[in-house]
Amino acid sequence: MQRIRMALLAAGVVAMAMFAFASPSSAEGETELRHDVHECIEQLEAANSIDVDCQAAPNPMVPETNEVIWGTVGFVIVFGAIAFFGYPQIKKAMNARTERIASDLAAADSQKAEADRLVADYQAKLADARNESARIIEEARQTADGVRRQLEAKAQADIAEMRAQAAADIEAAKSQALADLRGEVTSLAIGAAEQVVQRNLNDDTNRALVEAYIDQVGASN
Amino acid sequence: MFALEFPPLSHIVNWPGIAGEGAWWEINKVVLIYGIAALLTILLFVLGSRKKALVPTGAQNFAEVVVEFVEDGIARETMGEAGVKYTPFLISLFLYIFFCNIFEVIPIFQMPATARIAVPLVLALIAYVVYHGAGLKAHGFGYFKHALVPPGVPIALLLLVIPIEFVSKFLVQPFSHTVRLFANLLAGHILLVTFAVLTSGLFVLKPYLPLAILPAAGVVVFTAFEVFVSLLQAYVFTLLTGVYINAAQSHEH
Repeated sequence: MQRIRMALLAAGVVAMAMFAFASPSSAEGETELRHDVHECIEQLEAANSIDVDCQAAPNPMVPETNEVIWGTVGFVIVFGAIAFFGYPQIKKAMNARTERIASDLAAADSQKAEADRLVADYQAKLADARNESARIIEEARQTADGVRRQLEAKAQADIAEMRAQAAADIEAAKSQALADLRGEVTSLAIGAAEQVVQRNLNDDTNRALVEAYIDQVGASN
Repeated sequence: MFALEFPPLSHIVNWPGIAGEGAWWEINKVVLIYGIAALLTILLFVLGSRKKALVPTGAQNFAEVVVEFVEDGIARETMGEAGVKYTPFLISLFLYIFFCNIFEVIPIFQMPATARIAVPLVLALIAYVVYHGAGLKAHGFGYFKHALVPPGVPIALLLLVIPIEFVSKFLVQPFSHTVRLFANLLAGHILLVTFAVLTSGLFVLKPYLPLAILPAAGVVVFTAFEVFVSLLQAYVFTLLTGVYINAAQSHEH
């Protein structure tokens, strides 16, 4: 689309150039005779010759009065407008921008310095906090270790106590069981001996004999 | 063989009056272009200074670019810090000449106002007054010695050198300053007219019609070239003004 537009534009420019210059006399192509042309014809007729100066084309190196006047007026107006209005205004705007950018840069510099200082502060505080937290953690760890050790020791003591208690209980139960067993065995042995000796011995004697025997057996075990 | 009738020079640069035919104030196409060029220059600065945006756009941007270009690229470049005060004058020269030139490629107008000698001559004479004035202001009447007697020249040669310097600086300089601008734009205008007339001639002569593409392409290419020339000649004229002012007011040779 853009290319087509550009091509159409170029074609338009060429066409306009061709039409603008199509006729070599486009600049002076009036149908009515100009005043100077009319004057020249009169001069030619009066002289009855073609050697009349008026036919010569104007010298391009000689400026036309009207063009000198208007050209000067145009330049003077342009110079006045630029020197007294345009240039000072534009320079003012440019200088104001330069100053604003310079002050903005200075402000940005000081703000950066402030930000750097704050960052350094925060970093220092952060480092302090890290140290503090490390200290607290270490303290807690040590306390926990102490508690653990105390608990362990207490547990060990409890275990030892419980073990001793259990051993004592076992010993007591064992003694009781042995005593019970002894009594039972004695009764059984007496009963058995009674059967064997058929009342040859009285009960007390029998018991003494059996117990003496059991003691003997227990001592040998 | 093409039966081409190339228009006489006067037909492509002398324009009939639109108003006041023959009067001292006659307004023709060239005068109209002076007016439009002046209006465009003023309009550029009016629009450019109306809003003062931090980030300039449009007319403000263009006006600032021109101010910076002329101030840094021409005034400071040719005259140093002392040249900054001439910036408004140089900007006026640059823009007025550029807008007068650029009408060469603006459809319907298609006539550079500087292809007529009046404006180049007037501007060269104003520049002449400004740079000799700057010289007189800087050196007093010693300026003539400064301008005419180059240091280190043997006294015997001064008889030869002084007239040469006088002719060169006081007579030829404004003439060359004028003609450089005027002749370049006139030549460009003639070139474009030549290609256009040739295209038109081949267009009319049916058997040669396909050949018309060549001069038509010439018109397009040289129209683009004339945009460049318009800018370049405005720059050269302004730069030379700066160089002449510097040469006149500087304390070195």
